[in-house]
Amino acid sequence: MADVRIIDLTWLQVGPQATRILASFGAQVIRVEWRHPAAIDFLRYMQPFAPDHATPAGGRSQGAARSRGIRGNYDRGAYFNNTNPGKYGITLNLNHPKGRELLRRMVIQANAICENFSPGQMDKWGLGYEELRKLNPRLIYMQTTGVGKFGLYKNYVSYGPTAQAMSGLTYMSGLPEPYPPAGWGYSYLDHSPGYFGAMLLMIALHRQRQTGVGAYIDLSQTETGLMLTGTALLQHQLTGEPTSRYGNRMPFLDWSPHGAYRCRGDDNWIAISVQSDEQWRALVTELGSPAWALEAKFATARGRKANEDELDRQLGSCLILHDRYELMERLQRRGIPAGVVQKAADRFDCDPQLKARGYYVDLPHSEIGTWPVEGFPAKLSRSPADVGGRTRRASPKLGEDNEYVYCELLGLTKAELAALKQEDVI
Amino acid sequence: MNSETSLDAALRGVVVLEIGNELGDYAAMLLAGFGSDVIKLEPSGGSPSRRIGPFANDNREHSLFFWRYNLNKRSVVLNDDNPAARSLLARMAAKTDVVLLSGDFETVERRLSLWRELAQSNPSLIVCTITPFGLSGPYRAYRATDLTQMAMGGIMAVCGYDPGPDLKYDTPPIAPAMWHAYHIAGEYAAIAIVAAINFRDLAGEGQFIDVSIHEAVNTCTEIAIPTYIYNGQTVLRQTARHAFPHITQFRLSKSADDIYMLASLSPFEREAQAFARLADEVGIEHVLNTPEYKQLEKEDPNSAYTYRNELIEQLVSRLPAHEVFQRAQAHGLAWSPIRRPEDNLSDAHFQARQTFATIEHPELGRPLLYPGTVASDGAAPHMRYWRRAPYLGEHSHEILEWSGCDARELDDLRSSGVI
Repeated sequence: MADVRIIDLTWLQVGPQATRILASFGAQVIRVEWRHPAAIDFLRYMQPFAPDHATPAGGRSQGAARSRGIRGNYDRGAYFNNTNPGKYGITLNLNHPKGRELLRRMVIQANAICENFSPGQMDKWGLGYEELRKLNPRLIYMQTTGVGKFGLYKNYVSYGPTAQAMSGLTYMSGLPEPYPPAGWGYSYLDHSPGYFGAMLLMIALHRQRQTGVGAYIDLSQTETGLMLTGTALLQHQLTGEPTSRYGNRMPFLDWSPHGAYRCRGDDNWIAISVQSDEQWRALVTELGSPAWALEAKFATARGRKANEDELDRQLGSCLILHDRYELMERLQRRGIPAGVVQKAADRFDCDPQLKARGYYVDLPHSEIGTWPVEGFPAKLSRSPADVGGRTRRASPKLGEDNEYVYCELLGLTKAELAALKQEDVI
Repeated sequence: MNSETSLDAALRGVVVLEIGNELGDYAAMLLAGFGSDVIKLEPSGGSPSRRIGPFANDNREHSLFFWRYNLNKRSVVLNDDNPAARSLLARMAAKTDVVLLSGDFETVERRLSLWRELAQSNPSLIVCTITPFGLSGPYRAYRATDLTQMAMGGIMAVCGYDPGPDLKYDTPPIAPAMWHAYHIAGEYAAIAIVAAINFRDLAGEGQFIDVSIHEAVNTCTEIAIPTYIYNGQTVLRQTARHAFPHITQFRLSKSADDIYMLASLSPFEREAQAFARLADEVGIEHVLNTPEYKQLEKEDPNSAYTYRNELIEQLVSRLPAHEVFQRAQAHGLAWSPIRRPEDNLSDAHFQARQTFATIEHPELGRPLLYPGTVASDGAAPHMRYWRRAPYLGEHSHEILEWSGCDARELDDLRSSGVI
């Protein structure tokens, strides 16, 4: 993506997720922010924060510690740092006419612009797609909103959890009634639409390179959620039955046992997923062939399915004293799909697979030092993804690259830059 | 608000050969939605995902899983494991842009050795593998399913129900239904393939891509990892809300028509004000705007939020869900009913956006609506699904013809059991 420049007006998670991926493939992503407290990215001032003792020369090596953040310092947000590596950072006041003029100048030289403001905000500034394409007819304009820029709900507001609730994803997750939906423990629909955003941008860039044509992309988080509802919609249309929840069980294959089982320790669990009678027999042997497991009713997949409550209860009490990792290895040696329900510490400190693959990447930050950020989950042999992008850095400090972008890329003089700062434009 | 055209044909001319199982179905279907010509190579017994339920009208030939994840594709029966298939695959490789191999490590490795060879004479070929843990590392040959990947990748640990007052959990971590490990990995695989297509635009070269489902799931847990790395804290799973280092207040409420609502307020003052106005409008008595309440918010925020949450619950219980939804949204509150997916099928919003694709199913004598796009260009969807999943070998004849084999070669392939 050496030929690509992206003006990134996005904030929070869903927009920055998409441009993060573009940056890791070498696009020049310029993150545009404004320093007014009401405009600053929430991720810059929400938990978690880097520990107060973290310095530019240090970082993770100085140790982890809780922090409430340092008042007035917007450069210590840990989640922000993980979400925006490899990007350039500038400040720009779009409420100021000169700010809007500067943005227009940047748009002329850009391949794409991305934003996830509330619907209509860019139009109010006179910076909507129709205006900007007059300046740059090849422009790709991508906008991410909860339910889409047009349609009946075009003015509806939404966060990730709102889109999850509406799409059906929240409902589908959890134990059967009478349990309420468990939903998702985070904004899944701030992640997946970001992946789609990256995909759409790259597809549009490929076309732009080949045909010179731009694109207007109205990306909807709720539509992304619907894309992820599996076979539920088809099944409903054919049976008329309402969609229900299955917990961790597998309703669509003869796989049983299929669930999470408690192991030794505090809230420690292992997921086991038996796909065949052969795997079941191997599991029984590994557990020392307890009498209950040899009962005829459990010998076939159909029998196990029919007696799944009892099976889960018996297996559960059988596993409670086991060490979860030891058990996983023993079951894997017998070819049984088993995986520890890994918590953050397990994934970061222990997981030998992530370590061997170099999944976490240490990157420096100009305020809080060097910290690991989450990597890209695929290895490309010729154009590898590199989350440090062109900046070789984790996230930018607020306005860190003003001089580079305004002077070197846009050709302003340092005096002009100083004047603009004086006028509260940058 | 129209761009020249939607992106639904932006990958036209990109030929994808898909060989594998349910780990790769979705990735290839995404490419097909943007105009790629996806050819599914299936063994004579059919692709394994044809055997995953649910099934339409209990007909084992009609897997809804296969239907869902194989739209727009063409199918050719070709036993690629047969050594005699080599010459045919070599012919196909010369006309192919992307090869997508999915499945367990051993199966993919076995297939990959041939494609490594074929890529040497086709340097612009992009070969992408999707395996549970990637092609290297100590877990590479571990057995996995969607459930165990959701466990090891970290999503399960942050999804589920509240613990008791002693912070002990009596319910297991939950893997949100269904197939999300493969969704996440499929999206990343499509991204990586399109990134490789962009690289090929500039450099003229193809490459190998090794997607690890384990790593893909790991990227998708929001603040869980940063909270641990920076603060040494573990986030706790909680009912239908964000996993967080401490337990936050329960926030599910039920409407007058017994539907769960997602009705909560972010820390922004704008939302607190909007809620006070909504409460006034619905006739809920409150003291939210009094100096006493503002004082309580400062001194004892937990009690203040408890009071406010009780007001929310009261308000939601007074009205049917759709009315709460519309009124809250009119005040700029990001609330929504917790819908079943099918509640969206008849929603005029999605009809206006052409969110659902109508796919004809002659075997049912009726069409079905499929989720068809995630984005629009203002006039048309950016993705287009138009053809039902293929029957086994439905396009064998035309694909073999396209491969350039003559009649004698086809006879030989037939007699050696390749086709």
